[in-house]
Amino acid sequence: MHIEIDEIAKAFGATTALHPVSLAIPSGALVGLLGPSGSGKTTLLRILGGLEYPSSGRVLFDGRDATGLTVQERRAGFVFQSYALFRHMTVFDNIAYGLNARPRASRPPGAEIARRVTKLLDLIQLPEIGRRYPSQLSGGQRQRVALARALAIEPRMLLLDEPFGALDAKVRKELRQGLRHIHDETGLTTVFVTHDQDEAMELADLVVVMSMGRIEQIGKPADIRACPATAFVRDFITA
Amino acid sequence: MGKPLIHRSPMPGLGLSMGITLTMLSIVVLLPIGALLAKGASFGIGNIWDTVNRDRVWAALFLSFRLSLFAALFNLVFGVLLAWVLVRYRFPGRRILDAAVDLPFALPTAVAGIALTALHAPNGAFGSILGQLGWRVAYTQWGILIALIFVGLPFVTRTVQPVVEEIEREVEEASATLGASRFHTLRHVVLPMLAPAALTGFALALARAVGEYGSVIFIAGNIPLVTEIAPLLIVIQLEEFNYDAAASIGIAMLLISFALLLVINLIQVWSRRRIGHV
Amino acid sequence: MSDASALARAAAPDAPRARAFRAATDESPLVRWILVAVAVTGLLVLVGAPLFVVFSEALAQGWSAAAKSLSNRDARSAIRLTLTIAAIAVPLNAIFGIAAAWFITKFDFRGKAVLITLIDLPFSVSPVVAGLCIVLMFGANSAIGGWLVAHDLPIVFALPGIVLATLFVTFPFVARELIPVMIEQGRAEEEAALTLGASGWRIFRTVTLPNIRWALFYGVLLSNARAMGEFGAVAVVSGKIRGQTATMPITIEMLYNEYLSVAAFSMAAELTLLALVTLLLKAALEMRHADQLAAFRRH
Repeated sequence: MHIEIDEIAKAFGATTALHPVSLAIPSGALVGLLGPSGSGKTTLLRILGGLEYPSSGRVLFDGRDATGLTVQERRAGFVFQSYALFRHMTVFDNIAYGLNARPRASRPPGAEIARRVTKLLDLIQLPEIGRRYPSQLSGGQRQRVALARALAIEPRMLLLDEPFGALDAKVRKELRQGLRHIHDETGLTTVFVTHDQDEAMELADLVVVMSMGRIEQIGKPADIRACPATAFVRDFITA
Repeated sequence: MGKPLIHRSPMPGLGLSMGITLTMLSIVVLLPIGALLAKGASFGIGNIWDTVNRDRVWAALFLSFRLSLFAALFNLVFGVLLAWVLVRYRFPGRRILDAAVDLPFALPTAVAGIALTALHAPNGAFGSILGQLGWRVAYTQWGILIALIFVGLPFVTRTVQPVVEEIEREVEEASATLGASRFHTLRHVVLPMLAPAALTGFALALARAVGEYGSVIFIAGNIPLVTEIAPLLIVIQLEEFNYDAAASIGIAMLLISFALLLVINLIQVWSRRRIGHV
Repeated sequence: MSDASALARAAAPDAPRARAFRAATDESPLVRWILVAVAVTGLLVLVGAPLFVVFSEALAQGWSAAAKSLSNRDARSAIRLTLTIAAIAVPLNAIFGIAAAWFITKFDFRGKAVLITLIDLPFSVSPVVAGLCIVLMFGANSAIGGWLVAHDLPIVFALPGIVLATLFVTFPFVARELIPVMIEQGRAEEEAALTLGASGWRIFRTVTLPNIRWALFYGVLLSNARAMGEFGAVAVVSGKIRGQTATMPITIEMLYNEYLSVAAFSMAAELTLLALVTLLLKAALEMRHADQLAAFRRH
């Protein structure tokens, strides 16, 4: 799905989190929002997911105004920094949650849900863990379960907030490949937020560098590295 | 032998703190409870059974337990609602409301008893209105129920409140991004997270209500077989210096308390196993 | 960006749209309104109304009637007795609470969980059963009680019995408040003081006590409120002798049963004021020293 962000701004009371920013994300792209904390990248992601409402501006999905859509209507697969897994449910029930939450008329039958969950567990390469609880998983496993849960609703896009933030360096490298693999497999338009420039540069097709609520530069990783548009970008990517 | 009884430690005050703790625990709690059990043992299990197995005692025990269960159920629902409102919503008077939840803890039970009676008596503020609707509260089981609801009010709220405070917003947001309606989220994500704490509060309120005396006797009317609670039976036996009968009923009530204590602990073990922490 | 689209945005301000937006973690305004209304109404009926009735009944015949009912000899004796009981039971409880919390949190030993359960036990025992236990242990019919009565040291139907009953029902309050706080704070500070050569008392006074003083005060506050208000356990052990073993709550019962409503509610109003002061102090403590109170650390 093609996403267009048109002059989106966000203020929390007196503080401005986002100055009007515009950005077009082509269908099927893997985009990294890169910036230090307080740069507005998470706010922008949450506005895309419908978790925050912009103070002004519009969001367009495939050319149609989606600004007024509720979180539920957006069908954006969202992976939270803390993963936000449901601790009282098994991994299986976590992944099945979005399908079970559908109104009866559009809810798939139980066997179909089970089939899809099994397929997703295979996709994240953890076929054996369906009956475990989140507290019995490692950090990397939790992250993959959160990803599978987001994919289960057949999302129109995938939004990830610091997806590797809470993991140690080795696991982080592995999971980057995993996300790349899943993106290529599903072809979903994917936006992830990170403060780690290596991560953005290695993983994304398109990197959006942000600072203090503004977009500093949009470009392919190689282009950004070759010719940083502002002093901030130069400092940030060489830091 | 595995672990030593007490690990050696350079920390001072072992003898003193252990001495005070065990001495006071023995004199104040263990020996008196032991005296009750010893009395029961000397009276004999058969005699205890014969004492308890009478219509009036069964009626009292059943009444205490049944009304306590209803009161605790009411408090379970109302307490969870209160905890949610107090933590999540901002409205004028919230702090006063929060403090008011503790009043049943702080107010002496005898005071609560006469106040509730004055309120619900046929000529009282509520009693006169309800009387016109043909509903008598004071001196009926309804009155006992209201008194038991009053004394158990804070338990569920106070156990659930910290859990509501700790819920990560992201978990609720995750549910919404997966397409769940707000009601579905509350029902399938929030309530299960509150359940262990709510059940603990429920069991505490139940335990308190089963043993409650002061707030109930004024409003109950104390009619044998109808509105006579189990603790009152003990008092009556004691006033007649019938110590064996008093001890028998006391032991029956103690067993109920222990059973409830066990249930509370099992709930906590269960929740720790499932969720990873209490 | 064309001027036309900028104009269109200016003409259609976002404010109404923004107001319609509801965060994913909020209930609809109607639901919120209903829940708040239920909470407020419920508490007004269940808690507010009884509170109001205590004072309105006490003042039913004016201030002077209420004041007069509190100044007769029996009333003054009841007030004195209740204050005496609290003055004995609360400090004993505080000492026990501190000792138990020190023993449990500073040392490792087998059976710790059992000990904690035993300390909590009085919470789940009916006050009447507690009183019964004390009567059976120290009453004139028991071995210990008989010996004590023979030596003119009666416990049941006398002050010591009432104090024991009060200690029983308030037993866990201070310890329960201190143990979680002291577990959280660990032993490192005390161990540091130990390596610096401080004595046990000095460590307690200068290192431990400052860290637990608000939690201690909180526990004392709750145990004091309960000590002054206890009815069931005291009713069983006191014998209800007017002017001698009738505490304030017992006197309330006797006055009420004699249809002396103003007198009963006047004394009830005094205890209610105590309860309100307790709640006020509690709220102030929770606001200013939340970091030190166990109630805020439960996980």
